[in-house]
Amino acid sequence: MTSQRFIFLWFISLLLTSSCTNKTDSGQPKKVAVIVSTLNNPWFVVLAESAAAEAKSLGYEAKVFDSQNNPSLEADHFENAIVSGFNAILLNPTDSDGSIVNVQKAKDAGIPVFCMDREVNSSKVATSQILSDNYSGCVSIGEEFVKDLNKKGAYVEILGMVGDNNTWNRSKGFHSVVDRYPGLKMVAQQSGDFDRNKAMDVLESILQAHPDINAVFCGNDAMAMGAYQALVAAGKAKEVGVYGFDGADDVMNSIRDKKIKVTGLQSPQTMAKTAAQFADTYFKGKRDFAQRIPVAVELVTQKTIDDYETPAKP
Amino acid sequence: MNASIARRKTRTNLWKYVAGAVIALLLAHNSVYFKKLDEVKAAGSAGSGKFDAATYAQTFWRTKLIPSLPNAATDLATLLPLLKTDKDKAFTTYSQALGIGNIRYFLVKGEGTVTAVNDNDVTLSLTSGETVRLATEYIFGNAARDASGLIKITEFDNTTDLNNVSAAINDIVRKDVIPPLKVAAKPGKKLQFIGAIELNRAHLHLENMEVIPILVN
Repeated sequence: MTSQRFIFLWFISLLLTSSCTNKTDSGQPKKVAVIVSTLNNPWFVVLAESAAAEAKSLGYEAKVFDSQNNPSLEADHFENAIVSGFNAILLNPTDSDGSIVNVQKAKDAGIPVFCMDREVNSSKVATSQILSDNYSGCVSIGEEFVKDLNKKGAYVEILGMVGDNNTWNRSKGFHSVVDRYPGLKMVAQQSGDFDRNKAMDVLESILQAHPDINAVFCGNDAMAMGAYQALVAAGKAKEVGVYGFDGADDVMNSIRDKKIKVTGLQSPQTMAKTAAQFADTYFKGKRDFAQRIPVAVELVTQKTIDDYETPAKP
Repeated sequence: MNASIARRKTRTNLWKYVAGAVIALLLAHNSVYFKKLDEVKAAGSAGSGKFDAATYAQTFWRTKLIPSLPNAATDLATLLPLLKTDKDKAFTTYSQALGIGNIRYFLVKGEGTVTAVNDNDVTLSLTSGETVRLATEYIFGNAARDASGLIKITEFDNTTDLNNVSAAINDIVRKDVIPPLKVAAKPGKKLQFIGAIELNRAHLHLENMEVIPILVN
């Protein structure tokens, strides 16, 4: 009886030890799937490649799956990852509600999922979610906005996609500051769908009704570039300040050239590396992950732009 | 006979068209819907709905932050020279943040003479020679929430609650700390203060440093 118990305990400890390595039972490296919403946008390419590179540097096999902004394709990737024996999934979801069911399937199969940049609207399915601190980043932008405008003026807000959590976290952070100043009047708020051309069209039509605005706050940098183009076309680029969010190369260059006022610099590399490192610590036995971890967004202004490297001009 | 079959066929086809049109209308009706922007905005990424950030902030302020201040705050006379000579050690030893990244927060204390009272801040010349500004207008961000390191990220499973805690703590600063500071701040007067600062670990600027005041004597 005692020897049977000893053999049982030895077997259990062997199992536990083997699960704490970066190899599977067959001696192959553990596999990490990087499922990303789209590879049709350079920002997400950086996110996916950084996650895969970090996973590989930690000794794992890594494969990137492109969901092409299509939740059903994302569901196929999850099925594939589960059937193919992937041991962890680093996910940039296509849809904060629609992706929940996919993450749940992985959870049911015992596969940890670490969300990067975009969240899923559930605190029970992902192992952890590593997210840009959109709200706090836009609090900083809002403060700079109020200072630049000296607490008074008329402005326009161009929102991102209305169904996206990031859109509202950014907008709410900005308004948590700006709305405290009654001298600042928002004359129009419309969605530009995070799209440069749409933002340009939206601002062009708003300028017809409100030609005397002082500033435009945009929910991302692509829309900030579109808004700037609309202001150039209307001959108002010098007197109207444009505020963006992302830290995209073309906006960083435009801040350097004094065309755009401010952006919030996100770090896809930090989110991706952290997600891969979390998967590594999960394999080694850690389980007490915070459900949502904010990643700091840095305020970049015309005063602080010299702190940042000059990105290559396209 | 043939005419009756043709009539029946026409009738069957008609029913098919009607059924098809009804299905198409139903599909169109159910696939397009309109929502007010305000409703979407209100839904956003809502918090738990049960969490009371104002109560949490009051309890944190009264029972955790204020009692910890004398020991937890680092004297600027110690911190500033260390930041200049060994930045990494200063950040590793004294900074805190609930999130990850370059933005870090320090709980600091100091003593100095008021040199200017401005619209948005009070300028102090520290006994160690440096100049800092105590914020009186722009009380925003996470410095007061994060600098003590007493709030843990694992306490929260949604970011809305976390953001609301910052806003509620900043409200306490606006209500309880700023009014007496404004009354006390006269050029030439000596002030002792404890507060929170935000610094960027990768891009450090020590000039023009702004402190969110937490306790001022």
